[in-house]
Amino acid sequence: MSPRTMQLSKLSSFVCGAALLVACSGSNALSGAFDTTWQNDGGQSISSVQRELASASIPKGTGLALGVVKGGLVATTLSGKSWKYTGSVDARPKLSGDVVVATGDNQLFALDAGSGEKLWSISSGGRSLRGAGDDGTYTVASLGALNGGQSRLVVVKRGGSVILDAEPEPEIGTPAIVGGIAFVPWGNQYVSAIDVTTGAERGRLLMRQQVTHAENVGGELYFGESQLLRFDPKIGAAASGGGTLAALPKHDLPGTPRWFAPGAEVLSPSASAPDRIRLIAKPTGDGKFENDRMAATYFRVAMGFGASDGELRWAKLVDSDILGGAAAKGGFAFCTAKGEVLLVDSASGAKAGTLNLGSPVMSCEVQAGDFTVPSNAPERTLAEQLGEVIATKDPQMVPAQRFLLTKLGSMQDDSVTKVLIDLASNTDTPPALYEDARKLLAERRSGADFMLQALEREYDFLDDVLLPPPVGPLADALAAMKEQRAAGPLAHHLNDPSDTPDDIKRAAKALETLASADQFSDLKIFFALYRATASDDDIIAAVVSVAKAMLRVGGKEGEALVAEAAKDPLTNSEVQEALQGLKPPAAEKKPEEPAKKTASK
Amino acid sequence: MMHNRSISVAQRVAPALLRFTLGAAVPLLALSATQPAVAAPAKFDVEAVKKQLLSGNGEEIAKALETIKQAGAAAKPIVPTLNSVLKKGSTAPLLVALIETASKLEDPTSSAAIAPYVRHRDKSVRQAAAKALLHTKGPDAVKALRRGLRSRDPVVRGTAAGGLGTLGAKEALPDLFAAFDHRVGEAAVSIGQLCEADGCKDFLKRVGKVPFDIMTSGLDQMLFRPPASLNDDAKIGIIGKLRELGTPEAGKYLADVAERWPKDWSKRVKAALDAAVKAVGKGKTSDDDEDEDDDE
Repeated sequence: MSPRTMQLSKLSSFVCGAALLVACSGSNALSGAFDTTWQNDGGQSISSVQRELASASIPKGTGLALGVVKGGLVATTLSGKSWKYTGSVDARPKLSGDVVVATGDNQLFALDAGSGEKLWSISSGGRSLRGAGDDGTYTVASLGALNGGQSRLVVVKRGGSVILDAEPEPEIGTPAIVGGIAFVPWGNQYVSAIDVTTGAERGRLLMRQQVTHAENVGGELYFGESQLLRFDPKIGAAASGGGTLAALPKHDLPGTPRWFAPGAEVLSPSASAPDRIRLIAKPTGDGKFENDRMAATYFRVAMGFGASDGELRWAKLVDSDILGGAAAKGGFAFCTAKGEVLLVDSASGAKAGTLNLGSPVMSCEVQAGDFTVPSNAPERTLAEQLGEVIATKDPQMVPAQRFLLTKLGSMQDDSVTKVLIDLASNTDTPPALYEDARKLLAERRSGADFMLQALEREYDFLDDVLLPPPVGPLADALAAMKEQRAAGPLAHHLNDPSDTPDDIKRAAKALETLASADQFSDLKIFFALYRATASDDDIIAAVVSVAKAMLRVGGKEGEALVAEAAKDPLTNSEVQEALQGLKPPAAEKKPEEPAKKTASK
Repeated sequence: MMHNRSISVAQRVAPALLRFTLGAAVPLLALSATQPAVAAPAKFDVEAVKKQLLSGNGEEIAKALETIKQAGAAAKPIVPTLNSVLKKGSTAPLLVALIETASKLEDPTSSAAIAPYVRHRDKSVRQAAAKALLHTKGPDAVKALRRGLRSRDPVVRGTAAGGLGTLGAKEALPDLFAAFDHRVGEAAVSIGQLCEADGCKDFLKRVGKVPFDIMTSGLDQMLFRPPASLNDDAKIGIIGKLRELGTPEAGKYLADVAERWPKDWSKRVKAALDAAVKAVGKGKTSDDDEDEDDDE
């Protein structure tokens, strides 16, 4: 099947005349582009294009944060110059190089990124912007219907003359342009390199990864969507799975963030959930990333990871959803729903500056361009940063909080133990986080002093302590750490009815090994109170554990109490059965001594 | 006459106390409900009862407890055995019966045996224990009830708050004030029984912030304390504060107190009461209208 491309000279003439467009000068037909009968040329044609463009350059672009607001656009360059545009915007605008491209009021228009001045405007033909690229001379844009279909490819010279205007049959993605060659992704696997002056396809890239974007990233060209392939001398190898690929480390991140939205879709001018859950990174060639960092956003938190090792390095909480961001040299720029632009040091996660768009925004696009984020020393330890995010009361944040809690749990700092205790002792902690915190606490082997401090607390109506400490997990951890100092507080908790039966069971279990004669009094009271009244499995298990502890530390009195309870018909039958199988530790050791073994027989 | 009026105040306070106390369903502690032990006519066989108590047989133990209750003061010699059984534990129903029986015998040595049960996981056991301590008394009872003020169980809190005054536990006043400020209304009575002049003034600061009928349960205790326990100046101060309040319910309360004021008690206080009633008025409230309607 031959491609069905359509020369739009008639349409363009109509549009120029009817819509009083600026500087319409004509368009060209596509020739051979998007031909589905094309045969894989092993990367020859795209290599040839690469060689031809080796010396061509595209601008790194203006560092800019651009927000869509009701009635237009608000922007600030990352160096602090603000501008506004008043007019309708019907799709997400695109930043490329030194221009902003957008559609609205049936117009496709370009603005100067530094000043907001309109560069040109043509009819959008009722379609909305999917994506655009600019090389300093030409702007290429792809448009489509809001619900898909009706692809349109337009190339406009800086002065406003339409160089190419076509309606390719396949859905085309976000294009880029270098040295008068437009790179147009389509069919999820191809990028056609089209000479904008002739409309001819000069080469074609076949990718083995999903491709819906051709992007100018800091003056270099990349193709892809979830991974980016660099347009460099190795591009010819892409057909066989080679080339210089920039892939972010795989993570099980909250909300499954994506690096780029599908490039062949028209994005709403209002941000949606996927805009708030993003990966942000800037490839620098040879598969590496700027500052060796990648950021992941989840609503109000940005998390910084090592791009090569995937390790979490920082977490930054902001006061409204992060709608967009970009990686710059030295750091990241994040744009929030409140219209704040936060500059963050990529190494430390420290705030390196803030800018303001002047009003809340519906969506926000950021281009780092040639901007450098100043460096700043860490404000707090990573554990403290995670603690702050995790402690935030925002139900929407729970998946990110749970993720960060897992990271926090893997750190050995004593302060982490305190954060976990606070989470597990706070009535406001969401249930999922509460349970996670308890599990992680039980596994901790550091921060014993914080654990002991926590055990000093108990439910106290008058002092407004309305949630007891996480006694069970603390008991597990302290027993594993063989922390004798825990015996007293744990024994005391046995007789606190505000602790859950599960906590009591675990405290009693810990006391099997930790208790000394000093705790015999508490053990006796618990045993007396529950040997006959135990009504659930946890308390029954606790009574049996306490009996074992009493046999170990209670001497003759302990032995007598356990023996008496084992015979008493009023003792809970399950407890009684278990008690009948217990022997004092000394008696258990006897069989190990051969001489006494014989004697006992 | 006076007795009837006291009941009338208690009846008026009880529903308000329930409203004031979080957790509702907290019965107003009625200390008078438990009658002191009375001498039993029959001979009490200590050894036989002891044998029953230590039998390990639930029915036998229950029979023994019944015998002890009937014996009253004559059963005092069984207290050590009773305490010993309590210290070893039993089933929940038997524990409740054991605790109630110990309560009847009103022996302070039982407080140490009963005290741990105020923190039992079974609410019938811990509530029985808290109530029993009001009768067995002593330092162990005070200590356990002070702790009971901090309990998760509103009944235990209410029982402790209402009972510490009867036990004369002045050292518990700070906790009682804290409990009152945490909407444990029963603390008002104990505060009223225990407060010194300054503490009573401190209680008066709550007037206007706490439902008036809750306040009166404490004020009543203060105003009707013997002069040696709270002097006339302090009482006149209370009356002055209520006079300043000037509400119909304050007027009505002052009139009620003036009517109940014993003839042979302080003339100064009576004069202050009369003057306050005159200034504020007898404070007819909408509730009174309803009462009158009911009477008709």
